[in-house]
Amino acid sequence: MSVVQNTSEKSKWYLPGILTGMMITMQHLVKNLVNKKQMTTLNYPEEKYEYSPRFKGNHVLTVKKDGSLRCTACMLCATACPAECIKIVASEHKDPSVEKFPIHYEIDILRCVFCGYCEEACPVDAVRMGPEWQTPGVTGANFIYDINHLAYRPNLKGGILSHVDDEERIKSGI
Amino acid sequence: MPKCTINGKEIEVKAGATIMEAMYQMDEAIAHYCYHPGLSVAGVCRLCIVDIEGNPRPQIACNTAVTDGMKISNKSDKIREGVKWVLDFHLINHPLDCPICDQAGECGLQEQYMEFGKYDPEMAERKVKKHKVVDLGPTVVLDSERCILCSRCVRFTDEVSKTHELGIFNRGDRSEIGTAEGKELNNKYSLNTVDICPVGALTSKDFRFRQRVWYLKDSDTICNGCSTGCSVKVYFNKEGLFRVRPVVNPEVNGHWMCDEGRDIYKFVNRDIRLLKAKKKTNSGEWTELTAGAAAKEASGIAKSAGADVALVLTGQYTNEEYEKIVETFVKDFKSKKIYHWINNKEHLNDFDGLLIRGDKNPNTKGLIGVLESHSLTSPFSNLEADLKKGTVKTLVVAAPENFAVYLDLKEKLSLFTKAQNLIWLSSVKNSDLDDMNGNIWQIPMKSYIEKSGTFTNHAGLEQKFHKVTTVVSESLTLGEAAELLAGKNISVAVTPTRETFVEADRRADLVRLEHRKKNEFVYKRGSL
Amino acid sequence: METKLLTEFYHLDEFRGLSGYKAKGGYAILAKALKMQPQQIIDEVKASGLRGRGGAGFPTGSKWGFLPKNNEPRYLLCNADEGEPGTFKDRLMMERAPHQLIEGMIISSYAISSKKSYIYIRGEYDFPYECLMQALEEAYKAGYLGKNILGSGFDHDMDVYRGAGAYICGEETGMISSLEGFKGQPKLKPPFPAVQGYLRKPTIVNNVETLAAVIPILRDGAQAYRKFGTEKSAGTKLFSLSGNVVKAGNYEVPLAYPLMDLINKEGGGLKPGRKLKAVIPGGSSAPVLTAEECTKATLDYECLAQMGSMLGSGAVIVIDDSQCMVDLLGVLMHFYHHESCGQCTPCREGTGWLNKITHSILEGRGRLQDIDLLLRVADNMKGRTICALSDAAALPVISFVSKFREEFEFFVREGRSKVKGTTYAEMHH
Repeated sequence: MSVVQNTSEKSKWYLPGILTGMMITMQHLVKNLVNKKQMTTLNYPEEKYEYSPRFKGNHVLTVKKDGSLRCTACMLCATACPAECIKIVASEHKDPSVEKFPIHYEIDILRCVFCGYCEEACPVDAVRMGPEWQTPGVTGANFIYDINHLAYRPNLKGGILSHVDDEERIKSGI
Repeated sequence: MPKCTINGKEIEVKAGATIMEAMYQMDEAIAHYCYHPGLSVAGVCRLCIVDIEGNPRPQIACNTAVTDGMKISNKSDKIREGVKWVLDFHLINHPLDCPICDQAGECGLQEQYMEFGKYDPEMAERKVKKHKVVDLGPTVVLDSERCILCSRCVRFTDEVSKTHELGIFNRGDRSEIGTAEGKELNNKYSLNTVDICPVGALTSKDFRFRQRVWYLKDSDTICNGCSTGCSVKVYFNKEGLFRVRPVVNPEVNGHWMCDEGRDIYKFVNRDIRLLKAKKKTNSGEWTELTAGAAAKEASGIAKSAGADVALVLTGQYTNEEYEKIVETFVKDFKSKKIYHWINNKEHLNDFDGLLIRGDKNPNTKGLIGVLESHSLTSPFSNLEADLKKGTVKTLVVAAPENFAVYLDLKEKLSLFTKAQNLIWLSSVKNSDLDDMNGNIWQIPMKSYIEKSGTFTNHAGLEQKFHKVTTVVSESLTLGEAAELLAGKNISVAVTPTRETFVEADRRADLVRLEHRKKNEFVYKRGSL
Repeated sequence: METKLLTEFYHLDEFRGLSGYKAKGGYAILAKALKMQPQQIIDEVKASGLRGRGGAGFPTGSKWGFLPKNNEPRYLLCNADEGEPGTFKDRLMMERAPHQLIEGMIISSYAISSKKSYIYIRGEYDFPYECLMQALEEAYKAGYLGKNILGSGFDHDMDVYRGAGAYICGEETGMISSLEGFKGQPKLKPPFPAVQGYLRKPTIVNNVETLAAVIPILRDGAQAYRKFGTEKSAGTKLFSLSGNVVKAGNYEVPLAYPLMDLINKEGGGLKPGRKLKAVIPGGSSAPVLTAEECTKATLDYECLAQMGSMLGSGAVIVIDDSQCMVDLLGVLMHFYHHESCGQCTPCREGTGWLNKITHSILEGRGRLQDIDLLLRVADNMKGRTICALSDAAALPVISFVSKFREEFEFFVREGRSKVKGTTYAEMHH
């Protein structure tokens, strides 16, 4: 790598450099005053950034067609989680075709690093990272999300359907 | 004694030994499901094929006797391809149950698939559907679809427990394990079938869905359910102990253990334990103190009683503890009033022919030995008489840890509280003492998994076991309690609660995979 | 040329009864044999080159020689299970000449010093069972069974045991398990039945025809028996001819008889207007022979083995060009799937898999890779199991798919048969 040395007389003057810099700033100011729409700054909260559908936000536990939890308490997400923030307690289901389901599923959202390993590890598309990301807690807030919150909170509108459908699998004979 | 060469290594085996036994002797990896060293040979899984020099066809190792000079190998590509295909045949009708199956993490099919499989399945047809979640009996649940029909459970009920409850019904790939009409799998050794099942077809109702096995650590110890003293392995993690499994011990229990012994983990978890020492005076309320403080107070009382202090011992503590406490009482208190609380004289010599004995204390022989060596042979009836008369001022009782087998606990308690001062050394909580009168001190003791020691079983065999973990850190051993009662100063280390259930002797920087390697299906862990 | 060593008098109804049998020289050989030494009989049978007629073709004299030379009680089991599809020769003998079987069994039992023998007959054979029971009664009454037969000092008891519809009970250790009262599942070999068989005692299992063939061997001598057939395949055999021939039935011919002669002369040839497509020479487990290979085939163990097939039980199934090979394979696969005992994994799962793939192709859901998959699955089922049912299921698959591949490919592509033009549902409505 060679360093280009600018040893001309002009470069030893301070003012031209400062003036060029200020000119650039003035150009940006005038551009933004005239062309408001092309500004990169967003006026949050009126304007929000559109994240991709793969954005890793708050977790969502999907449900089956009849509204019950898709999760089979296999604990692969808890095992994969690098922050060890998922706690699951499994239980026996009365229906032998369902057999195992979680009675407790808790994610300590303050420990979570939103890496997405749980979503990748799940074999039945039960846990997903949803698009919500701004969920501050006010006084008395609970940062340990349980099944009620993860699967059935109001803005999920009754539960998000899982892509993995047991009926299809059973019909096809696997 | 024929000599043979297996995979290049020479080994000498007993006459008539099969190639599979030779492989077990050498700790050599060979895939197998239906062979079990404690059962007869079935030869039905066809996975243990080996190449024998001079024989064009691969033979199964479990049924071929070793002849002198045999050269055996199972590492060639042809054998691996053969094992892969037989494994494929096992898997074509196997359900996709890994997420809900308890055996995940210690499953024979998973292990052999990682070793020989890792292929794309080509079965595009419908799988055979069978019954799931079949209630076989009070302890075991069957899932027929997962069953690979290795017939280990059938052979077990035929040859070991001799109860002939299980059989294979139907023919071909519609075969299912089951019990005859109206019968159920109900014998005292039924949970061994869950241990030997290589897949998750038979699951224990007690352990079902409670924990994933990769979250559990294990450690060897001795069962304290009866005087047989089977070698067992307890599985635990930070939430407590979860299950107990037998360890092979040709001298004591062979490959098996009884169902009663499976419950011994229940007397150790924190929910049933005495966590802190308590004391109360006549019909007052309990006040909690640390174990050391309680012992110190109690020692003052005991010393004032002098040679009148009586000690009651049960056969559930280790030899070392007995030595210590008896010595302390004889030397420091100069008391000869040491009694042995026997709970079931009538059944003491019962034996069911396999493993279960009537004496439900693991160390009766050890206790008797220690008492005899100090020539303390006063019968328990003497103490009963004294208590009824009211002449006993201070009584120290080493209470049983496995209290469920002491059916006379409540009546003995009312007898013991006739003494003015009762010092109750126990590892478990006892709510019966709440209603009793008199000055009572309860001091928490260590359970059998928290201390190292020696048990002497019914045949006089001394078995040493090591500390597994700490459950209640404030608890004392009998020896420490004795010294404290005698007024000596000893230091009792107290570990914080979050350090409980951490394995003993673990280097902080060592990741422990060793226990996973002791699964019989995994001899050498590959890339997992 | 038919040679009637065994079947000479089968056309006479009275040959079934004891008096008719004795009139034609019955039980005379028994008298002759009881005067010989048991070892002499074994040597005679060995010299005659008699091979097992049930399917495996193992030299009978050698099998008898495997018995240990001690005082343990021995058993002779007659395999009248006849489960191999296409075989019905033993039924003929049991219906028309039960005394021939009984006489042959008494002679064989004398040779191996057995005091008790059983005839394991398949449960479906009601009428042959009645004939056998009747014949046994007559034999006991006449003193040919029981204590001190014909004054020779030899005691013998014989019983008939009925099966209950399992092909696997025709396998020798499967039969022994069934006789002992357990599930008819084959046992691991070693130990072999000749050393540890029925009730853990030395046992010989032989086919009906093999045991009856002892009579002509002793009557005319081993060398006379060797006049028929070849060096390695000596004597005559009953062949059950079936399929698309005019005169199906049982025919006794000497071994090494040309296959086409059996079909055209004895069997009366194919129906008018049809051409020969394939022949299964030895029961459904034998690999199929194409019409061209049939012209060169002679019915003996060596020639057929050299051609890649086997003589087996002698059930010759003739297939003409109006049959769809895929449909035929579907029938065979259904049979083996139904009859697998389920003990060892490759057979239990493999027969089910082969059946499902074949029926997928038949129902029009087949994929092109299914044809190769059939070959690979069948290849990997062979040689890895306790008994030979797995090989018996795999061999037809391999031979049908390799020799008639165009029919399978047509079925996969078009969803209907190349030969018949119709779908599977239409074929079997």
